Amino acid sequence: MIIRKELWFGFGLMALIVLSVLILTPWGNLFDAHLSHADLGVLGLLMLALIVVAIMLGFPTAFTLMGMGVFFAWLAYRSVNPQLAVNQVLDLFVQRTYGVMSNDVLIAIPLFLFMGYLVERAQLIDRLFHSLHLATSRVPGSLAVASIVTCAIFATATGIVGAVVTLMGLLAFPAMLKAGYNIKVAAGAITAGGCLGILIPPSVLLIVYGATAGVSVVQLYAGAFFPGFMLAFLYIGYIIVLAKWKPNLMPPLAESEQRVPLPPHAQALARRGRHPLATSWRALMGDAPGVSKRTVFAQFFVSLLPALAIAAIIVVAYRIATAPEAQVSTAGLVEAGGAIAADASQSEQSSGLIGAPDTEEENKPGELAPPPGAQEEKKPAAAEPTSATPAPPDAAAAPAKRLPAPPWFYVLLAVCVGTILLIYWLWNWERLEVFKLLLASFFPLALLILAVLGSIVVGLATPAEAAAVGAFGGFVLAAIYRFIAHWRDRPQSEASIGVVLARTLKEFGRIMKESCFLTAKTSAMVCWLFVGSGIFSAAFALLGGQEIIEKWVLSLNMTPLQFMILAQLIIFILGWPLEWTEIIIIFMPIFIPLLPHFGIDPLFFGLLVALNLQTAFLSPPVAMAAFYLKGVSPPHVTLNQIFAGMMPFMGIQIIALILLYMFPGIGLWLPSVMYAK
Amino acid sequence: MQKTLLFVDKVSTWVGHAFSWFIVALTLHVSWEVFRRYAMDSPRAWAFDVMIMFYGALFMMAGAYTLAKNGHVRGDVLYGFFRPRTQATIDLILFIVFFLPGVFALTWAGFFYAQESWHINEHSNITYEGPPVYPFKAIIPLAGAILLVQGIVEIIRCVICIKQGYWPSREEDVEEVDVDKLKEELNVKDEDIEKLDVYVTREKPR
Repeated sequence: MIIRKELWFGFGLMALIVLSVLILTPWGNLFDAHLSHADLGVLGLLMLALIVVAIMLGFPTAFTLMGMGVFFAWLAYRSVNPQLAVNQVLDLFVQRTYGVMSNDVLIAIPLFLFMGYLVERAQLIDRLFHSLHLATSRVPGSLAVASIVTCAIFATATGIVGAVVTLMGLLAFPAMLKAGYNIKVAAGAITAGGCLGILIPPSVLLIVYGATAGVSVVQLYAGAFFPGFMLAFLYIGYIIVLAKWKPNLMPPLAESEQRVPLPPHAQALARRGRHPLATSWRALMGDAPGVSKRTVFAQFFVSLLPALAIAAIIVVAYRIATAPEAQVSTAGLVEAGGAIAADASQSEQSSGLIGAPDTEEENKPGELAPPPGAQEEKKPAAAEPTSATPAPPDAAAAPAKRLPAPPWFYVLLAVCVGTILLIYWLWNWERLEVFKLLLASFFPLALLILAVLGSIVVGLATPAEAAAVGAFGGFVLAAIYRFIAHWRDRPQSEASIGVVLARTLKEFGRIMKESCFLTAKTSAMVCWLFVGSGIFSAAFALLGGQEIIEKWVLSLNMTPLQFMILAQLIIFILGWPLEWTEIIIIFMPIFIPLLPHFGIDPLFFGLLVALNLQTAFLSPPVAMAAFYLKGVSPPHVTLNQIFAGMMPFMGIQIIALILLYMFPGIGLWLPSVMYAK
Repeated sequence: MQKTLLFVDKVSTWVGHAFSWFIVALTLHVSWEVFRRYAMDSPRAWAFDVMIMFYGALFMMAGAYTLAKNGHVRGDVLYGFFRPRTQATIDLILFIVFFLPGVFALTWAGFFYAQESWHINEHSNITYEGPPVYPFKAIIPLAGAILLVQGIVEIIRCVICIKQGYWPSREEDVEEVDVDKLKEELNVKDEDIEKLDVYVTREKPR
């Protein structure tokens, strides 16, 4: 029944548009090539209306855009000079196409897609879910929370909504049903979580928006970071509150299922003491407890990892906070500049290499001027040979003085020390096991994402370069994970590493092939859309459709708020018949030129659009995520149940949209800090 | 007839597959370049041009392949509900009205664009002494021509479908979401999913 109604609604809409096109077309002037300026503008609007109809008919959008763009561009040129029209259109088209082919923003798309396909085929989602489930087992609604976190991480790394939802539907959905979770809650958690990958960078949507709107992808990534996480945290918060409020929807796990099974060596050690760090240290120092020293050392080292990581963060933060850059302007000497450069490169190296060990001595609070450490002493020696005329010692020494650490550094230091204390206060053998599991599944993926994002946001690499390195990382990740999987599955009879390697290589070849082909198909899909829209938007501009829309919108005298709501509403409605690629590539060029009139930052607008389009994935009746989940759920789970489960999450998305609008700082703070915008 | 169609499909697919390996080349090239810049401090000026060329050739040449696998994005709201005959009729008309003129224009214009570039022995002007760009520009008419041939095959497919009432078959290819493969990957069998129905129906009366 629903299908029928939709069909009629669609046809009605199309008929309406076609009818108005037929009435409004300046037929009389169309054939004798005497189109006036106003006629052309009307034609531009008609073209826009027709494209909606043509897209809804279901023909591949890229070619619809191409055909229509060529025809209308020809009409526009013909009204000026009928003889040259054909050549002008052809030139315009091919130049636009070449523009897409040599677009340095769009390169990142195939690379990020490739990274996503490789990471997906590393097959680490079940480990990820398992370890996150154990890690959150005491949280109310633990399975749903673990599902959302798994979805968020995996969807962020891969960006493939369909695969994530299907995999989680096979993995987490049964687990949740068995644990007695409400079907709607379980379905909602999976579908909503799977869609997070669209928003959280590195997402392809933001690249497409950046390329269309001419906004820096780097800033978009920096801006979308916090809204994306805010949304994830809102989801998790909702689940936890709901689980507390109505425990019958998400019954807590049985005590037996919360317990983490300890391996024998850990059990033996656990009998000797509750705290892994202290116990393994004692075991290392003296009495041998029947466990090999190597195993004990491994426990000790893994236990120490969080402290090492946090110490490294402190060191890096200290280096950044006290970098003696501010003095460059006062010491205008070339030699001094050279000294600074040498110092900077040296300090970078040292923080990476020896970083952790000398945390203690580097970060004694209270000492505003740090004692001249090894780096400071080495520095003038390194600088002097490079400079022809050696600078006077005090001039060289002055810029070398590190700045006093700003107050925020001490806040960070306190937080970090607090975190370390908290971690080790809570540390026990079970948590150590969970931590090991996370180390093998969660952290590599999180690290990959953070490294890619970090290098983009900090400015070490362009998005395309970071994407390539990320793809390479996905490459390595897939190889390692597949090798480990084969190593574990190996039959007892053939334990040789060569056999396992050969098997891994064979599978890896298949993975590479599939990932390559999928990358080619998907990037062709997105980029040919750009080829089509290149000529289409050019025709629209030639006809002056943009001008008419601008005049019309300005004549409405809307406030920025009204305009914003209207724009978001239109985008939301367009999300029903169209895919996000089409919406951004075809309709964003119409909205973007209007933004300056209302004083809206295109960057901010982009964040709202990304958040908004994410909602489209969850809004029935075309919510893709729901259909993927339905495809792998038990037969008695109905689509309506899944839709009903998605509703609260859609509500949260709208709340997030409003929050972002009310407090633009959520999105704009990071870019403004990073790029002083 | 079906044989000819599948043959053209195969050619398009083969070309697409061949060029899809450019993504590996692109990944390695860019990663190596980043490594050179930061670790070896010797970036190469032409690296950027090569990067662009890998990317451009990759997606342009995969256009026909994607069409052969029905992979170009469609507005699926209504189309999915039509009967195959209706689908084929709409497609047939729009292939002739939009696809043929558009892609033909691209191929035609691309040919002269590339020819001109070839004649003047054009080199990239992004960097000093950039690499030649005429082979890259030649990709446009080449990709257009393959796409055009594939488009004609699709038109014939539409006609066949209108005649016989169902879509003629296509060759299999990797899919983004291959449910069976994902099931295999996680060791989930259909019976397992069906067994879960107990939990679903149990909840119903409440």
